Amino acid sequence: MEWESDERELKAAGAVPLGGGRVGFLIGGWEIETAKRSILNSSLLQQWEEKLQTTHLPEMVFGESCLILKHVNSSIKLHFNAYDALCGWKLEALPPVEVPAAALWKFRCQPTDQVILDYDYTFTTPYSGSAGVEKSPESGRGPPGESICSPHWEDCEEQIDMVALSAKESILFYDEVVLYEDELADNGISLLTVKVRVMPSGWFLLLRFWLRVDGVLMRLRDTRMHCSFRESTEPVILREICWREATFKALSSKGYPTDSAAYSDPGIISEKLPMAMRKTQKLIVK
Amino acid sequence: MSDLDRQIEQLKRCEPLTETEVKALCLKAMEILVEESNVQRVDAPVTICGDIHGQFYDMKELLRVGGDCPKTNYLFLGDFVDRGFYSVETFLLLLALKVRYPDRITLIRGNHESRQITQVYGFYDECLRKYGSVNVWRYCTDIFDYLSLSALIENRIFCVHGGLSPAISTLDQIRVIDRKQEVPHDGAMCDLLWSDPEDIVDGWGLSPRGAGFLFGGSVVSSFNHTNNIDYICRAHQLVMEGYKWMFNSQIVTVWSAPNYCYRCGNVAAILELNENLESEFRVFEAAPQESRGAPAKKPPPDYFL
Repeated sequence: MEWESDERELKAAGAVPLGGGRVGFLIGGWEIETAKRSILNSSLLQQWEEKLQTTHLPEMVFGESCLILKHVNSSIKLHFNAYDALCGWKLEALPPVEVPAAALWKFRCQPTDQVILDYDYTFTTPYSGSAGVEKSPESGRGPPGESICSPHWEDCEEQIDMVALSAKESILFYDEVVLYEDELADNGISLLTVKVRVMPSGWFLLLRFWLRVDGVLMRLRDTRMHCSFRESTEPVILREICWREATFKALSSKGYPTDSAAYSDPGIISEKLPMAMRKTQKLIVK
Repeated sequence: MSDLDRQIEQLKRCEPLTETEVKALCLKAMEILVEESNVQRVDAPVTICGDIHGQFYDMKELLRVGGDCPKTNYLFLGDFVDRGFYSVETFLLLLALKVRYPDRITLIRGNHESRQITQVYGFYDECLRKYGSVNVWRYCTDIFDYLSLSALIENRIFCVHGGLSPAISTLDQIRVIDRKQEVPHDGAMCDLLWSDPEDIVDGWGLSPRGAGFLFGGSVVSSFNHTNNIDYICRAHQLVMEGYKWMFNSQIVTVWSAPNYCYRCGNVAAILELNENLESEFRVFEAAPQESRGAPAKKPPPDYFL
């Protein structure tokens, strides 16, 4: 459900609703929009399987849900969607993670004609958002594939100002979009979501891949982006990518709980998981 | 009106019973369930329902679409609890109906009817929140151990929560399982509640998780042939359209939780079989928001970092 903000605050900040049934606002030179739709039906799922050349996709693919942030003057478009994320999963193709019961199963009498499937059922993705410069600035929707040139992320020293973001500045627009989710056949959770909040000073978003394989491991891959609203034509977008991961065994050795019920929300453990990778980048438009 | 009828009316309003009432209800249910076979015989006409997952108001919608029990004879394929907001009320209503009309409703066990799974996926926490103790969870999970593992409609349609097992080729092999226990991590009983049909294998497949069987079309053909059944009806997997036939109509998945987890936007289905075993799917959507009691609150703005 969308957060409904105070109308006076929106007006004071110069936010204009996108209208036409669209969810979002034009604010600070940005069109910020979310779309939340149903999971893909069987025939669309099959089309995606063919396009992605896979026989398995997450149980719940919110294939038509997305978050789009478009800078009107420069036509830079940031897009968050399940399809691009799953392309990333397909490319990374991590080896499967065995669940605890697997040890027991190795001693089971196995049928002779057995096939062992070996795709990455955790749907782990390195996805950190899609970016493009749109050909026709009029069309606000559609995948970034139609862009003519793609902007470039460059490593930088600057950091997202988390202290400033901790201030309780009023939130003009807030939304959360699930891109895909899988229950790992009741062996944990794999979840890709993106949250966005828009304040009078700028916007901030968190794309989070969260994986918990019960009794085995937890993996968190966060992408944060921040952009201040300013007068200049070219916006500066900072992006911080941070990957964290730990096995249940490692958590237990540090004295943390090892029952999965303690980790229904990644917020509880995120800071305690050891960092595997972290980098900050700036979007440069060429 | 008897106490039980009053309890059913109360549960239909989504009001839970007291701890003492739950205890007494479970004792009565146990006496009935213990007599049931692992392959419980069911007569047609019957309406088959898949996963419910604590979506109480959507189950009421199901009963509206399918007709009230006992007028309609029901078979529920398990996964009554976890994930939704009202596992307690959902399971207790089904159990109360079972005690009141034992021959008009059949409940078989899903993989969520287990102590271990309910501690992770919601039912345990819900009991603790609603009763302030885990006693109700204990009574309910003790009842889970007595639930039958499968059903056989008119000797022609085999019904199970998950699927087949390489350790099982005949129904008699299911009949001799000692089911009164927590769902094991492997073996025939585990497979019946956990396994899935899979297009890309023909025989048996092992999940990439290293545990969990997948079975292909030839496995289903041979099982159906050996046991002289028309097809298998199972639940366990979300299907956007509410039901899905596979392997030349030798197996069908029925899913009865519309708008699963309150966000998937899927429809649900139940399978109605008449006295001649002619089948008709009834597809339905989630209950309208206004029939859900308290309106959903707007979430506060989230100062996520």
